[in-house]
Amino acid sequence: MATLLFEIGTEELPSWFVRQADDAIVGIVSARLGGAGLAHGAIRRYSTPRRLAVLVDDLAAFSERRPDVRRGPAESAAFDADGRPTKAAIGFARASGVDPADLLVEDTDKGRYVFARRELGGDPAAELLPPLLAGVIDDLPAPRKMRWGDGDAAFVRPLAWLVALLDDAVVPVRFAGIEAGRTSRGHRFLHEGPIELAHAGDYPDALDRASVSADRSERRASVIASAESAAATAGLLLERDSALEEEVTDLVESPSAILGSFDARFLDLPDAVLATVMIHHQRFFPTREQGGALAASFVAISNNRVPDDTVVRAGYEQVLRGRLDDARFFWDADRRATLAQHAWALAGIAFHKELGSMADKVARVAKATRRLAELLGVSKEEAAVLKQALPLFRADLATQMVYELPELEGTMGCAYARAEGLPEAVAIALEDGVLPRGPSGALAASRVGALLSIADRLDTVTGFFAIGRRPSGSADPFGVRRAALGALRTLTAQGWRVPLPKVLQAVAGSYSAPVVEDDVLADVERYLWDRVAGLLAEEGIAPMVVRAAVHGSRSVIGAARRAHLLQGLVAVPGFADLLTLHKRAANLAKQTGGAARVKPGLFRDPVEGPLHDALPEARRGVERLMAGVRKQLAPWDLGHGPGVELQGLDAAVAEVVRLKAPLDAFFEGVMVMVDDAEVRGNRLALLGEVADALSDLGALSYLEAPAEA
Amino acid sequence: MRFQEMTMALDRFWADRGCVIAPPHDTEVGAGTFYPTTFLRALGPEPWRVAGIAPSRRPADGRYGQNPYRFQYYYQYQVVLKPSPADVQDTYLASLYHLGIDPLAHDIRFVEDNWESPTLGAWGLGWEVWMDGMEITQFTYFQQVGGIDCAPVSVELTYGLERLAMYLQGVEHAFDVEVAPGVTLGDLRADFERQHCAYNFDHVDADLQRLLFDRFEAETQRLLGLDLVHPAYEFALRCSHAFNLLDARGVLSHTERQGFVQRVRRLTEASARAYLAARAAAAPAEVA
Repeated sequence: MATLLFEIGTEELPSWFVRQADDAIVGIVSARLGGAGLAHGAIRRYSTPRRLAVLVDDLAAFSERRPDVRRGPAESAAFDADGRPTKAAIGFARASGVDPADLLVEDTDKGRYVFARRELGGDPAAELLPPLLAGVIDDLPAPRKMRWGDGDAAFVRPLAWLVALLDDAVVPVRFAGIEAGRTSRGHRFLHEGPIELAHAGDYPDALDRASVSADRSERRASVIASAESAAATAGLLLERDSALEEEVTDLVESPSAILGSFDARFLDLPDAVLATVMIHHQRFFPTREQGGALAASFVAISNNRVPDDTVVRAGYEQVLRGRLDDARFFWDADRRATLAQHAWALAGIAFHKELGSMADKVARVAKATRRLAELLGVSKEEAAVLKQALPLFRADLATQMVYELPELEGTMGCAYARAEGLPEAVAIALEDGVLPRGPSGALAASRVGALLSIADRLDTVTGFFAIGRRPSGSADPFGVRRAALGALRTLTAQGWRVPLPKVLQAVAGSYSAPVVEDDVLADVERYLWDRVAGLLAEEGIAPMVVRAAVHGSRSVIGAARRAHLLQGLVAVPGFADLLTLHKRAANLAKQTGGAARVKPGLFRDPVEGPLHDALPEARRGVERLMAGVRKQLAPWDLGHGPGVELQGLDAAVAEVVRLKAPLDAFFEGVMVMVDDAEVRGNRLALLGEVADALSDLGALSYLEAPAEA
Repeated sequence: MRFQEMTMALDRFWADRGCVIAPPHDTEVGAGTFYPTTFLRALGPEPWRVAGIAPSRRPADGRYGQNPYRFQYYYQYQVVLKPSPADVQDTYLASLYHLGIDPLAHDIRFVEDNWESPTLGAWGLGWEVWMDGMEITQFTYFQQVGGIDCAPVSVELTYGLERLAMYLQGVEHAFDVEVAPGVTLGDLRADFERQHCAYNFDHVDADLQRLLFDRFEAETQRLLGLDLVHPAYEFALRCSHAFNLLDARGVLSHTERQGFVQRVRRLTEASARAYLAARAAAAPAEVA
């Protein structure tokens, strides 16, 4: 049993990669060791911008022994008349790593064959490790790797050094022309000279002494703790931001917090502007007063611990001042015009050459939004908000602030609307209309904002489909997929039970050039339902249930609720049998052609009446299930799960499942396709009602086991 | 340290490390990367080291000299090392020390930056170097140049000279930087900046620049047909500048802009291929 250290020293890695590699490296090392038959104990991982490392406890000295048996040619083909091995036998023995003399002949159920038996494994770890560890570097996943110098090796950034130690012995790993040794490096600025490691187990303490905080979770905790205490020295609270915390953790090997400040006159800029400048541009943490207001101070996490931090602080403050000066300039300049005036400039911003300018787009969105509002119904107050918001929607795209800080689109529309003294609901609608900003970004909370968001996104999807630019594979240059997902999530979260085709018609009606043809719109609808299916799959719904729900629904929220209901139903004993019978009924009923009414007077067999009598209960059960699911599953953010389990539906489920017995008896007892046309028609009509009774649950034919067909 | 002493110090530093100190190229370029001593020399297997001040023009970045950091004409200090040496980060930090910036007294960070130049068919990976939160250098390992994979890989260091000088002299506007005793960058460039901004934004004759673009483009292709790679590449650079002027003038729609980018790219990529073909023909033994 030995301890293995493997450290990959690099030039500064991107922060996202450090985090990703930190997540992946233990699994990769463990898989590689397992594949080589090397038993091991716990694996500890270390990661910083300049290194990725693992420390493996209790590594076996040899790989596990395991028998290896291979069957070769038949005995008759393996030996010649004199009993000497043939060419075939010798070739087989060589390929199997045994001496021809050691080949065995054994009986099998196909006759006598030659076998090679040997024991594999038992190889020293020290011999297996060099190629194995080099493979770990290759296995670390990254979307794009680079080459450097005059070599062919590729990694995320150039490799600088390698350390590979099995207890106290160097493992001669080679990668990119670098030979592993026992020499590591400490912090770039806080430690001078190399770190010589006598033993693998010395690694954590040696890095600690060399000012490297190599345990990522400890380093993250220390980023937060030091930032909080720096803020506390001025009686301030740290503005927590988990994305920033993660990023900053992987920008430093030794975090230390520095509190800086800026001129309080900048505080009249909107909070979102201040936060964006500090967080996105400088990776500084904003701070708040105890009362909650943003303070004129920030916390920076330095990678260096300098004897006198006044120079560093002054540098941070100067850069931030420059950025805030710019922001202030834009804020003042933009407010010299009203949002309505900025909206005029949208005509000069292209959306797409075949789909017009941003002004054209916003005009289409306005028409679509009004039609959607009619379709969905809005209150008088909401209609008034909409009327004021529509001409200003996305006008902030024409402002200098959004040109310089594009992530503030919407946020600035809201801020400028407030500054103009427009009603708060109008300001909020302008920001809500650009939400969500990403696959998990917050959705519009206001109904008016949601209408704008849906109309805008579906205008994008429809337009690009109309000019033949639908996304293909992973290529989505116009963000059509993103727009589709944003619209569907918003639509579901609003809980609007409106058929998707109607929503699309409302949007497509705004297009005159290009005109959106019916077949294009049908294609858009299929594309959207595929996205709904994808989002439901992300919620853990089984593929066949997703299909049944999607094909059996007209509204997106309906599909989402049915999916969760059916996911539960398919697990109920008896429901699967009912489905099989139901499908048979539905298939036969298709032959009726029309909607004939069932005439009890035409019942000729005692099993027909009970089936007919059972239908109202089944229908009631379906109604109660659908009502229950609507009540229990409040509208949610599609793709992220409703967050509650359905419950208390057992009685309703039982009502539905009770249809099974009379239906079963019907198929056992009568022949449907009898010669008497009247009786036959009546039986088909009865089956039609059976099919109809359950149809509200979804397209149930997608749920059945293929064996039945 | 005065501005001219900074550039002299950098020249000395990089000359001592085997670089040719090349004088600035005399065709307008958007960045030092467009210099033939960078763009063309990054291609092919020969080792190459070059450094020097690289005046550059980005017409759309002008702010009439009002913004302390943004100009339509500015100075980069450009270093290219091929193949990229293993100790290039340490050497870079030593160059800062040489300028009077002690890395031990600052918070210096190498922050991920992925560089791409669509007009040059070039991309690379590397960092922005931050000093106390300010970006002072771009540091790029070229992966592709002119649409051709780089082997060996060159590393390009681009110092933002105005920013470094502002920092070293403790002034808040690039035009306040002292170049020589009693002479500031503003003395040298303020009028030039203001007048060029007026030209770029308001007085560029768009018809003339469109015409020039078409003619320069045809000329590039004609010269490539004559195997005159260097003159051809210069006309490609002139196309790039004509495009930049049209862009600054604000007369290009988004799609039209994309079209111009593609046209420049085709010219620079063709120049890169012609350059490689010419050097292969000149050294047949080496490529055999």
